[in-house]
Amino acid sequence: MRAKLEKILSQVTIETLEKLAFMFAFTNEGEESYPTGPMSVASVSFTGPFSGTLVMMISTEVLQELTFNMLGLEEEAEITEDQRYDALKETMNIICGNLLPAIAGDEVVFNIDVPRILPKDIEVKKGAGFPDEREPSARVNFDLDEGQCSLILFLNGRIPEDIVLL
Amino acid sequence: MAINILIVDDSGVMRAMILKTLRMAQVPLGDIHEAENGQKGFDLLDQQWVDLVIVDINMPVMNGEEMLDRMKENLEMKDIPVIVISTEGSKARIERLEHKGAVFIHKPFSAETVRDTINDILGFGDNDESQT
Repeated sequence: MRAKLEKILSQVTIETLEKLAFMFAFTNEGEESYPTGPMSVASVSFTGPFSGTLVMMISTEVLQELTFNMLGLEEEAEITEDQRYDALKETMNIICGNLLPAIAGDEVVFNIDVPRILPKDIEVKKGAGFPDEREPSARVNFDLDEGQCSLILFLNGRIPEDIVLL
Repeated sequence: MAINILIVDDSGVMRAMILKTLRMAQVPLGDIHEAENGQKGFDLLDQQWVDLVIVDINMPVMNGEEMLDRMKENLEMKDIPVIVISTEGSKARIERLEHKGAVFIHKPFSAETVRDTINDILGFGDNDESQT
């Protein structure tokens, strides 16, 4: 189950970053640690046939590039923290919106909350500081030219048996 | 013919992305109006001539579907073409929007998809000189 979820999470994230911001991410399969150095963290919760929270940790350099590319700006341009956070929240919204039907199909209905930015000093080990101290249901680390990002999925309970992972 | 477009999305970055995409797709742009929720979008439609509305679904204050419903109840707005650009993945919800007359584009989107959709709903042909 975890391996399938991580494969889907990986595919959706890679496709979203490429289509949304022309950024190419590669799964870092051997790496257990989270991104290091300055980073931003955002989360988005969802309810439906199953519920949970998706968290994204993204290094500052990757978020900077993501924002530039989404806005179509040259690198000399000035961007604000609000724009970076807006870009991160929109990216989270798109990844989550594509992840859920990729997991459960398009016959079911999910409600996705507004993404939110988490405090910078959040404790990230073993999910502490996220929805609770559960182990993630899936976690994928990515390498990009500018740095790293991680996507971490926490599910509340199990996926119902009538949901067949696609 | 330049087209006046209203872009409604609670994300300023996404509104900028949509505008960038319209330019990349060489859509003949007239006046571009922006709103951060359905209520502001609806109010703007009351004041400005708009040929096409591009709207997100999940927004605070008034979501995109409510805005679409209110447009359909208004004699002066009911025939304005609407494109919904959203992450919505539920087939039932997408079909409900389509039954209300909207055309659905899924996020993330390409410039080609936006261009082709606009060409289809506004009746621009491949040889339309207005697009060159």
